[in-house]
Amino acid sequence: MRLTFTLNDAPIDLEDIPEDMALVDLLRDVLDLTGTKRGCETGTCGACSVLIDGRLARSCRTKVADIVDHHVTTIEGIRSPDGGLSDLQTAFLAHGAVQCGFCTPGMVLAGEALLRRNAAPTRTEIRRAINANLCRCTGYQQIVDAIEEVAALRRANRVADGEVTP
Amino acid sequence: MTEKLSYVGNPALKNVDGIDKVTGRTRYVGDMVVPNMLVGKVLRSPVPHARITELDVTPALAVPGVKAAITHADFVDDGSFGWPIRDAFMLAYQKVRYVGEAVAAVAAEDEEAADAGLAAIRFAYEPLPVIASVDQALDPEMPQIPEISPTGGGNLSNTHLLRNGDPDPLIASAPVVLEATYELPHQEHAYIETEGALAIPEPDGGVTIYANCQSPHLNRDNAAQVLGLEPGRVRVIQPPMGGAFGGKDDVVYQTTAQAAKLALKAGAPVRLILNRPESMAASYKRQSMRSHLILAAEQDGTLRAAKADLTVDTGAYASGTPLSSWRATMHAAGAYRYEAVHVDTQALYTNNGYSGAFRGFGNTQASCAAELAIDELAEQVGRDPIEFRLHNCLRLGDRTMTGVQLDQAVGLADCLTWVRDRSDWAAKRAAYDAQPGDAPHKRGIGVACYFHGSGLGGEGLDFATATLTIEHDNRVTIAAGLTDFGQGSRTVFTLLAAETLGVSMDRVRVLRPDTQTALDSGPTVASRASIVGGNAVRITAAKIDRVLRMAAADLLACLPEQLVRDGERYIGPTEEPVGFEVVVAHAREMGFQLSAQGRWQIRPIEWDFERGTGEPYFAYVFGAQVAEVEVNRRTGRTRVLKIWAAHDAGTILFPSGALGQMYGGIAQGLGFALMEGFRFEQGIPQALDFDRYRIPRATDVPEIEGTYIRTSHPEGPYGAKNLAEPVMIATAPAIANAFYQATGHRVHTLPLPNLAS
Repeated sequence: MRLTFTLNDAPIDLEDIPEDMALVDLLRDVLDLTGTKRGCETGTCGACSVLIDGRLARSCRTKVADIVDHHVTTIEGIRSPDGGLSDLQTAFLAHGAVQCGFCTPGMVLAGEALLRRNAAPTRTEIRRAINANLCRCTGYQQIVDAIEEVAALRRANRVADGEVTP
Repeated sequence: MTEKLSYVGNPALKNVDGIDKVTGRTRYVGDMVVPNMLVGKVLRSPVPHARITELDVTPALAVPGVKAAITHADFVDDGSFGWPIRDAFMLAYQKVRYVGEAVAAVAAEDEEAADAGLAAIRFAYEPLPVIASVDQALDPEMPQIPEISPTGGGNLSNTHLLRNGDPDPLIASAPVVLEATYELPHQEHAYIETEGALAIPEPDGGVTIYANCQSPHLNRDNAAQVLGLEPGRVRVIQPPMGGAFGGKDDVVYQTTAQAAKLALKAGAPVRLILNRPESMAASYKRQSMRSHLILAAEQDGTLRAAKADLTVDTGAYASGTPLSSWRATMHAAGAYRYEAVHVDTQALYTNNGYSGAFRGFGNTQASCAAELAIDELAEQVGRDPIEFRLHNCLRLGDRTMTGVQLDQAVGLADCLTWVRDRSDWAAKRAAYDAQPGDAPHKRGIGVACYFHGSGLGGEGLDFATATLTIEHDNRVTIAAGLTDFGQGSRTVFTLLAAETLGVSMDRVRVLRPDTQTALDSGPTVASRASIVGGNAVRITAAKIDRVLRMAAADLLACLPEQLVRDGERYIGPTEEPVGFEVVVAHAREMGFQLSAQGRWQIRPIEWDFERGTGEPYFAYVFGAQVAEVEVNRRTGRTRVLKIWAAHDAGTILFPSGALGQMYGGIAQGLGFALMEGFRFEQGIPQALDFDRYRIPRATDVPEIEGTYIRTSHPEGPYGAKNLAEPVMIATAPAIANAFYQATGHRVHTLPLPNLAS
């Protein structure tokens, strides 16, 4: 099939892609975007997480036919406006939320998806939001710390920008 | 210590590989692609025990796209390997001994061709009786699993003993005796990155292998042996790794040898990555262990003697079990003062997968049993669990259960009081004791503590090496033989080099572990990277520091002893201060060599394996945890509400990394207590994916309040001890002891039962 979609804000137009190809295979094997990981390929571990139209999705359980004309964001598309680390990536580093790093791209995306729909999550809500993403190294606590801090930071910035009142 | 430290213990330190990891740029072995790369795949045994009657891979070679196919016969000595017992094979030889054992392998142009190649292999077998438990393994009527019994005693793989005094008369005369048996289950490492290797044949007949193994030099030596190549022609490079926890040695040696042989036969690179079900079936586990304990005490609760019988299931191969069952033997009665202790341990072959190293290395199971028993004994004598432990726990000057006198700081009592005070223990204990019996949700609070010998101890020669070089751009590179699989060793080595040399951490870079550039340092196991590898880095950096001080003294017209450091500057008594780069340039002009090697070895300790006496370890880590749980009486579900943890691991080098180790260890201990337990039924693994083998998710793990209390060990780098393994040990028994208060049900096996009414 011909596959058109938006990937990390850039248009993609590919020919001869099998309809039943998993999105993770397209990203990794066709487009060489290896930040999206294979951890289980049954949709259980979340290492292959991406955002589709801003919502968290498992790319191993998503067929490429289902992303036509949608916006896909992978870890390679997460950055600050100036091209550096995003606030959430910076917070992951500062809080020690990264050990082996294999779940980290998916965790950053899960955190990002949460923060886009809930500006003031509780720690329990953060835990629920990353519940589909397995991490065997960190025990999750520093990941929760990082997401919680960025939520507060973004709220403070919106107040400073006059977008919302405190 | 009056020395002002810039990096050691600095809470702002970040993981040196963190930026690549949060951006997804880190390339793990499964992310690596080279031209003409073939796909490697492995045929695995569907049965737990069988004699191979036919194995022919030639039909696979007729499948279009298949470029190579191998069996045990392609390796020297049929691919036999294994340490300390050489009983395993890179591909099954004569028999298959567990479900998931590698039988044959193919390399093909794509996945489909590789699958077709596997399907074409002629593989037939005659089933043998399955040894499904340690009790069956002890039955002389059952067949022997290994070709040669290492002990001459059928399926007995190894024994250990500890003899400290004579506990029998003390037990006979003690007013309070507890005798109980505990069964701790197998556990799967469940690293999120599965095992993998990429092998590239070299023009000289050698091979370069990128493999996600913990110990590249051991991997190289095993591969060279079975490939029939001199070690210099086999190069193993460790790419960034997605977790290991002890689980990425032997099984990755097999993966490495398979990929390398396929690549050499095909004359093309081969990438072999295990999928999740393969990983769960093929990889070794934490061994299940039965601990039969007898504890004797005075009426006031003073412990007097202990006896333990440990029975360990090593599965199809010995792997690390002879060593981890020794560590279990050294810790089987826990972190308490006894007048006499005997331990007898036997490890047995079964067809339950195979078992080896996993975080805690035998002590996780042994201490869990001891801490469940101690809680029962405290209740028998009518004392509060923490008060009982404080009454009996090891303190400075005491003798451990092996009879060794502790002559360095012992922070165990401080850890116990910290978790007691922070958790509001007394109030919660009383409140939960007073809960109505028919309450829909019942809570409990429980405690456990532990000690854990540092380094390999009597398991082997405990040394590490490092090479430091000041490169032409005045940056410092480190080649180290001990490695980082996510736990943060690269950050620790970087900060230790920067601290010792007095340079910015940005100037220091740890090279990829590569058997062509790093010197052998033994295996990266036993949480020894920071303490042993760290000391090697520290003393090597100190060698270069001495050279640079001579150069600086020459520049500043003074004696090296007169120099003062301020950041990267060298300050003399009279001249203008000079920077690091000026000193390096001057050292080069003076003809000094700006590269050094260093080696550090733990001081000799002696353990007599025949008599069961001696000094097992040079240092110990201590700690305590309190867990608070809530049990839903209708659903039977147990939720852990909070955990408090305190550890004595000496000086903390990399604080956010050390906390991360603690939280991660607690999560693994929580999984061990609540939901894991890798089960075999007649040798068949009962779960091969994350839907059925559940590991803790973010909502399973509670908020953790943890600390490292301040101590210092004179032999560790800047006073540090090890910590990655010990931090998980107390979690499962603390949860199980809390479960008892909530339910009145004493736990003798994990995972916790569901008591839904």
